[in-house]
Amino acid sequence: MAAARQPGRTGTGPLRRGVAFLAVLALLVALWEGYKFLGAIWDGTWPILGVEMRPRPGNGSLPHVWDVVAALVAPARRNAEPLILTLLVATIYTLREALVGFLVGAVVGFGIGVVFVRSLAAERAFMPYVVASQTIPIIAVAPMVVVWGRQLELPGWTMVSIIAAYLTFFPVAINTVRGLRSPEATATELFDSYAATPWQRLTKLQIPSALPYIFTALKISAAASVVGAIVGELPAGFADGLGRALLQFNQTFAADPSKLYAAVLMSAIGGIAFVGLVAVAERLTLPSARREVTI
Amino acid sequence: MGFIVDAQKLTKTFSGNSGTVHALSDIDLQIESGEFVSLIGPSGCGKSTLLRLIGDLLAPTSGILTVNGKDPERARIDGDYGIAFQKATLLDWRTVRRNVELPLELAGVPAEERRGRADELLEMVNLSDFADHYPWQLSGGMQQRVAIARALGQRPPLLLMDEPFGALDEMTREAMQQELLRIWRDTGTTVVFVTHSIPEAVFLSTRVVVMSSRPGRITHRITVDLPQPRGMEARESPRFFELLTEVREALRQREVAV
Repeated sequence: MAAARQPGRTGTGPLRRGVAFLAVLALLVALWEGYKFLGAIWDGTWPILGVEMRPRPGNGSLPHVWDVVAALVAPARRNAEPLILTLLVATIYTLREALVGFLVGAVVGFGIGVVFVRSLAAERAFMPYVVASQTIPIIAVAPMVVVWGRQLELPGWTMVSIIAAYLTFFPVAINTVRGLRSPEATATELFDSYAATPWQRLTKLQIPSALPYIFTALKISAAASVVGAIVGELPAGFADGLGRALLQFNQTFAADPSKLYAAVLMSAIGGIAFVGLVAVAERLTLPSARREVTI
Repeated sequence: MGFIVDAQKLTKTFSGNSGTVHALSDIDLQIESGEFVSLIGPSGCGKSTLLRLIGDLLAPTSGILTVNGKDPERARIDGDYGIAFQKATLLDWRTVRRNVELPLELAGVPAEERRGRADELLEMVNLSDFADHYPWQLSGGMQQRVAIARALGQRPPLLLMDEPFGALDEMTREAMQQELLRIWRDTGTTVVFVTHSIPEAVFLSTRVVVMSSRPGRITHRITVDLPQPRGMEARESPRFFELLTEVREALRQREVAV
């Protein structure tokens, strides 16, 4: 069926979206290169103000867009494959860890949400801990998970996935609680009038009502799980993922900034692809009238 | 034969932080099978509360209440009533047909039978062409017709309606009233109908029960002797206007006393 378009909003057909995306991309490139261009003309100093331009527009900190692209295509080392291939392998490796963590975190988060909605006592008892878990910085949690994981003799990648799951479960749990409580009072009364069992109520009223909320959470979590995986790779000392590549290029930033930008670009693309996957799943599950946020 | 709804000395109080509210006080109400009874009164007179007591969606504080000759809880579990609210409360993710099927599905009616019954009900409310539409594609009046079809799914002897046409425009409202009367005649179900519209109460009902607030109580019972079946002529008959006046004065009387 045709989705009703909101008045005052332009349509979001795939073509329009593509054009809009490219237009913004072109604008960002123009801003970046424009800043560098002005920097060259003004010799790195704002006219009239006489203040130095920060960040410095020189190639040392802001490489040309084409240099970043060139860095992607060029071999990472002498006689090696192009950097983009190395980064692609690293991105896929990291995304795989993120995906496992995301799935585990989503299931755990959903489970916590259901338990909290079923039992006010459980919510009162455990919610403070759930919230507290998210106030601990991930860089503090990651080394602990790695150390414990080694003691338990878990494979390395599972520790990274656990860290990704740690970031994933929270938004899913909170939004599941909110979503399961979202049916209006009369809908609840309606199910009361049918003498519906708790299971029928959950599966036929609460979960379908919660899906738009859960998908919104999954999109947040998809992005967070990629960050979690990248950060988790660092204390794990993994050489295969994006985390290591980012760390390595960070160290050589002063000598060659374009490589770090190239790696940042790849992790962004990986994250977008992941969130996009969730958005596709949402599209297949929910009609447009029930979607909360369109990505 | 006994009454389908029998309330004796029924009271309901709500206790909250701001004290105790006497929502209903000393309610005596007997409804015979086949009646169409409207509960009318100002906001806060407890008419919706009374409906919820009959439906076992709330428990009375004291008094005796039987529904279809049973304890209200038993009647609810047995599916002895269907209910419709001011909001149609259709499930967005289900088509019209699957919404109508919902109570049958929950009661474990086999899919084949469910579908046949849903089609029958949709025909009754003239929505057969919209069976595969989703609720948001329907007008408010159509959504309410789906809700009525859904309430009648298990052929309940009792239909509870809480201002079902309250959110509709006047034209749609009158058309819906006409349709409801036809369904009432065709199914022989008893209707308890909450409203705050005087013409609606008079046009639909065989009996209008007038309530007042603080505490909620029944002040008048007015038998509506307009001939059946009722249509446009009934609405325009002198007797209709006399009854409007009677109900209006019954409502006014209490206001003056308060």
